[in-house]
Amino acid sequence: MKTSILTLTLSSFFCVAARAELKWEQNTIELHPGIGDKQAVAHFKYENVGKTPVHFKSVKASCGCTTTQTQKELVNPGEKGEIVATFNIGDRIGQQMKTVTVQTDDPVPAQATTVLTLKADIPQALELKPNFVYWQSGEEPKPKKISIKAAKEFPAKNITVKSNNPNFEAKVKARAAGEWTIEVTPKDTSRVMIAPLTIETDYPKGAPKSFNATAQITNPPGAAPALRPSPAAPPAPATTSTPAAISSPAAGGQR
Amino acid sequence: MKFRGFREATVLIALAAILAISEGIYFRDKISWQSPIPASELVTVDQARAWGDGAIWVDARPDEEFAQDHVPGALSLNEDRWNELLPQFLPNWSPEKRVVVYCSAESCNAARDVAKRLRDEAQIKDVFVLQGGWEEWLKKK
Repeated sequence: MKTSILTLTLSSFFCVAARAELKWEQNTIELHPGIGDKQAVAHFKYENVGKTPVHFKSVKASCGCTTTQTQKELVNPGEKGEIVATFNIGDRIGQQMKTVTVQTDDPVPAQATTVLTLKADIPQALELKPNFVYWQSGEEPKPKKISIKAAKEFPAKNITVKSNNPNFEAKVKARAAGEWTIEVTPKDTSRVMIAPLTIETDYPKGAPKSFNATAQITNPPGAAPALRPSPAAPPAPATTSTPAAISSPAAGGQR
Repeated sequence: MKFRGFREATVLIALAAILAISEGIYFRDKISWQSPIPASELVTVDQARAWGDGAIWVDARPDEEFAQDHVPGALSLNEDRWNELLPQFLPNWSPEKRVVVYCSAESCNAARDVAKRLRDEAQIKDVFVLQGGWEEWLKKK
């Protein structure tokens, strides 16, 4: 009548393991949104290959930029479905990785929690390095350079640059196909001021995109920031608070 | 009898090891790893507070969370509206200032991403990520 520890452990393990199992087609999905896409959507498909129903306890995305949608809360044995994860791209660029953590009532811990991964490679139409140049108040007004490179998916042939502040001069020099250098020179660095630079392209034809960078004369060390618009202000659209504090709609990105 | 228990324990450990190794092999490409933020790029609430006016606080959380509450004087700069918010941040910056970026908690990545873009794209130095984020700031309020 003695029941060995081994028999007891193995039988309880197999009882639990045979109960339910949600099998995922893919745990990781890679997406390649195009330039200007607002969203990237991943469909994580599953099937209950176990013998009892599975309940979703929670489905949580790793960031507020990703929303999830489950078709059902209960998945019966043999039933298929999917969880749709929608990643709102916003102004993000480059490699992005967002996760969705799914918790079910599966008694096997390894199967109860599943981490689904959404990877998205967001192309940057025009890379500006840097998108911000500055001189300290009183610094010698030497030119500073912004290097620009167009993505393969954004075949702009020419760009032009416009300084929105007459104190800053900006010139474009072509380096190679799809590559340019903008040289920015302030006429005077004695006053704190800011200049939005508008970079206009010739692509796509009909509705060419423009991008922005910023040039600025900063306050000397220790001085209060003369251009500070409103420190705790909510993220309202840019407004001009002083003649020098001209805000641009974008910096280094698409409008 | 004494050896029987030992034998059973060995079998159980061996079974557990086989299961663990199998799972490790099966999920080898499915585990997402992210390198930790270097200690030199992190700052605690107490350290950041000690910088006083020498620090600019940047809130990397979504607009709605910033609107609900934020560190007094913090500027909103998130990646949802990066192109619009960066030009609002820049006039407040000057080279001697340290930038303290925070998001919701220790586990969020938004602060790290915003800090990286400030360093890489705007080439701003002295950008730090707040350890523990907004949650930690609230605890030490």
